[in-house]
Amino acid sequence: MSLPSHLGETARNSPAPARHTPTYALVGNPNCGKSTLFNALTGLKQKVGNYPGVTVEKKVGTAYSQHGQPITIVDLPGAYSLAARSPDEAVTRDVLLGRRSDTTAPDRILCIVDATNLERNLYLVHQIMDLGRPVILVLNMMDLAAKAGLQISIDRLEKELGIPVIPCEASQGKGLIELKVAMSRSDLPLPRHSWTIPAPIAPAVSELQASLVDHSRKSALSARAEALLLLTDQDSVRVAGSTPLDGRTLGILHTWQKRWESEGMDWAGSLVSSRYEAIGRLCAEVVRAGSSDRSAANVSDRIDEVVTHPVWGWAILGVIMVALFFSIFTFAEYPMTWIDDHVASLSDWVKGVMSEGDLRDLITDGAIAGVGGVVVFLPQILILFFFIGLLESTGYMARAAFIMDRLMSKVGLNGKSFIPLLSSHACAIPGIMATRTIEDPKDRLVTILVAPLMSCSARLPVYLLMIAALVPNDRVPVMTKVGIMFGLYGIGYLGVFGFAWLFKRTLFKGRPPVMIMELPPYRMPRMRDVLLHMVERGGLFLKRAGTLILAISILLWFLAAYPKSHDGATPQEQMTHSFAGKAGHALEPLIKPLGFDWQIGIGLVASFAAREVFVSTMGVVFNAQDTGEESTPLRQALLAAKWPDGRQLFTPLTCVSLMLFYVFAMQCISTIVIVKRETNSWRWPLFQLGYMTSTAWIVSFLVYQGGRALGF
Amino acid sequence: MSSGENAKSVMARLPLCQLPAGECGRVYELVGEGTFKQRIRELGFGESSLVTKISGRSPVICSVNGTRVALNHGAASQILVERCAVRS
Repeated sequence: MSLPSHLGETARNSPAPARHTPTYALVGNPNCGKSTLFNALTGLKQKVGNYPGVTVEKKVGTAYSQHGQPITIVDLPGAYSLAARSPDEAVTRDVLLGRRSDTTAPDRILCIVDATNLERNLYLVHQIMDLGRPVILVLNMMDLAAKAGLQISIDRLEKELGIPVIPCEASQGKGLIELKVAMSRSDLPLPRHSWTIPAPIAPAVSELQASLVDHSRKSALSARAEALLLLTDQDSVRVAGSTPLDGRTLGILHTWQKRWESEGMDWAGSLVSSRYEAIGRLCAEVVRAGSSDRSAANVSDRIDEVVTHPVWGWAILGVIMVALFFSIFTFAEYPMTWIDDHVASLSDWVKGVMSEGDLRDLITDGAIAGVGGVVVFLPQILILFFFIGLLESTGYMARAAFIMDRLMSKVGLNGKSFIPLLSSHACAIPGIMATRTIEDPKDRLVTILVAPLMSCSARLPVYLLMIAALVPNDRVPVMTKVGIMFGLYGIGYLGVFGFAWLFKRTLFKGRPPVMIMELPPYRMPRMRDVLLHMVERGGLFLKRAGTLILAISILLWFLAAYPKSHDGATPQEQMTHSFAGKAGHALEPLIKPLGFDWQIGIGLVASFAAREVFVSTMGVVFNAQDTGEESTPLRQALLAAKWPDGRQLFTPLTCVSLMLFYVFAMQCISTIVIVKRETNSWRWPLFQLGYMTSTAWIVSFLVYQGGRALGF
Repeated sequence: MSSGENAKSVMARLPLCQLPAGECGRVYELVGEGTFKQRIRELGFGESSLVTKISGRSPVICSVNGTRVALNHGAASQILVERCAVRS
C-alpha cells in the first residue's frame, strides 16, 4: 500500500509553517558524527538539562542562519531505530512523535547519516520520513565514503526522497554553510515517500491510524507513522513523562497481534524487511561502489587485532587505566590545593567583614565549607571526563567494553555495563546516568545497584585521612600508601562483581546476556568535542554543588549548631549538645562493635549527605579544643583521641574497619535521589541503601572483631 | 543481487559463532526472542544479509554492510548462517 493519495495531497499542500525560529530535531545513529555536527552548528550556545522524570540528557542549542536568524536545535539521543530498546531511544521516539509534554514536537528534522554505511543509516531516516515533517538529510563523512570507493549521487538521492540532501564533513566544517542555507529555507518540502506496507499488515495500520487520529487529533501522517511504530515496538518501552497510549488503540493493537500470532505471521519482521528492501532498491540506484581504497578499514581492523587480543587487549586497557588514575591523583593536586586555599580565604574574608553570629557561621561553616568541600573535586572530575571523552571520540571505549565483556559475562552482565562503572570512579551520579544506554532493563538495574560500590572520588578524602592515621608519614614508603589505596579500590571491585553475580542469580534471573555493539572505526580525537563534553560535565557537577549539596550543607550545619549549648561553650561541647551529637550518641551501641565511638558516629551521620563531609566533621569534632591558635593537624588530633576508659580510639584496626565501612556503605544522598529518579520508585534506592550499609556493617564487624580476637 | 550459489560447494548451515574467522556467511534464520530479532534486523543483520567474520574469539567481530559489529556468544549463537562459497 502506498500512501493514500488524499493524505499525500493534504500534506503536500500545507507547507511547513514559516516561523522565525523553527525548531529542528537532530537525529541519527550512534557514531555517525551527530554530536560533532551539533557542536559545529551551535558552538557554545548549548544548554544541557534533563527530560523530567528520566535522566536522559536534553541538549538544546542555537545556531544562526546566514541572515543571523536564530534556529533552535534539539539534539536527540542517538538511535538505530524509532522502535526503542533503551530509555534514551524512547526519548528520541517520544519527542519526534510529540508524546512528551515537556518538549514541543520539532517543526523540522535534521537527519544525519554516515555516508560510509548508507544502508543501515537510512533505516532510521526511512522511519523518520514517515512522520510527515520536513526533513533535511545530512550525509556525513563523505571523505571516508570516497576513500572506501563509494560514489553517492546526491542529485539522485534528493530526487528520490524529495528532500534536501547535504554532503558534509562535520569534523572539517565542510558543508556547514550549505546546511545552514538549507535550514533557513522557509519552504522545506515534505519527503516524497512511498513504500509498500506488506499487504497483510496494511489494514491494521489503517485501523490504528484512524483510532489515533480520533483520539489525539494527530495529523494523519504522524498517526500513520505512530501506527507503524506500534507494530514494531516489541517492549514498547515507556518512560516517565511520555503520554501513554489510549485504551482503544491498544485494544486494536492486541486484537491484530493475536490474530497474526495464531496465523504464525511475523508482522514486525516483515515490516523491517520491507523497509530494508525499499532502502536496498534506493541504494542500488544512488550508490556506486567503485574501486575502494581499503586501507582505512584495514587500519582499524589491524588495530583491533591488537586492542581486542585476549592478552594484549588487557595489557593496553590496564595501561590506560593506570594512566587515568595517575592523572586523576597527580595532575589534580595543584588545582585542588588552589581551590582549597581560596575557599579558606573566602571563609576568612566573610569572617572578617561580618560580625560574629549564627548567620556568619551559617555562611562559613555551612554553605562555604559544605560546597567548598565538594567543589574541590572538580579538577578530578574534569580530568576523568576528559579521559572518557578522549576514549569515546577515538572509538576505544567500545573496545574497552568489548574486552570487559569477557569478564562481565562471568557475573551475568555484558560489556556495556563497563562504561557506567568506569564513570562511577569519579562519581556514581554520572555513572548511573550512563546506564541509560544499556538495553536490557534487568542488566541496567543491576548496574545501577552496584555502581555506587565503585570507589568514587568522594571516598578519597576519607581513605586519605585514614591512611594518614594508620601509617605515619615519615617511616613508611609512599608505595605502602598507594598499595593500601589500590587494595581499597580492589575491594570495591570485588563488591561490584560479587553483588552483580548475586543479583543476577537471585533477584534478576534472566536469559544469558546478549550483547550486540557497533565498533566504530578508529578516528583522531576531536579536541573541541572532548573539551566541550568535559566543560559540560563540570558545569552539571557545579550546578549540583550549588543546589542540592548547598541545601544539605545548610541542613547539616543546623543539626550541628542547634539546640544551643550554654554560652561560651567550646565548639566541641556545642557539637556534643547538638542534634548531630545526640544522633551520634544514639548510634553508638550500633557501631561500637565496629570499633567506632559516638564521635565517629557524628561523622557517619553527617557524611550521609556526602562521604567527604566525614573529614570536615572529624575536623570539628576532634580539632575543636584550640580556638584560633595554630591548629593541630587533624591526624595528630585523631591519634590523640581516646575512649572514655583511656584506650586509643583510632587504633590501626579501627582505621581499617572505618575504611572498609566506607568502601561498602551507601553514604550519599545524591545517589539515592538519582536512583529514585532513574528507577521511578523508592524501592530500589532503599534496597540499595539497605544492602550496601548492612554489607558495610558486617564487613567492618567481622574485621574488627576478628582483628581483636587475633590480638590487634 | 542473486545469492551466487555455487552448486559445487555444499551449503553448510551453522550458527554464526561457529563460522570460521575470515569466512563469509549469509544469514538465513534468526532464533530467539522477538526483541532480539527486531534489533538484529534493524541493524541490517536480517535474513539474507552478508556477514564476514573478522575475529573468531568470543565476543566475535563481524563485518556487516561495512560496519564492525561485536557480538557475544549468546548473540552469535542465535544467528544462523549459510556458509558462502569460498572463492578460489
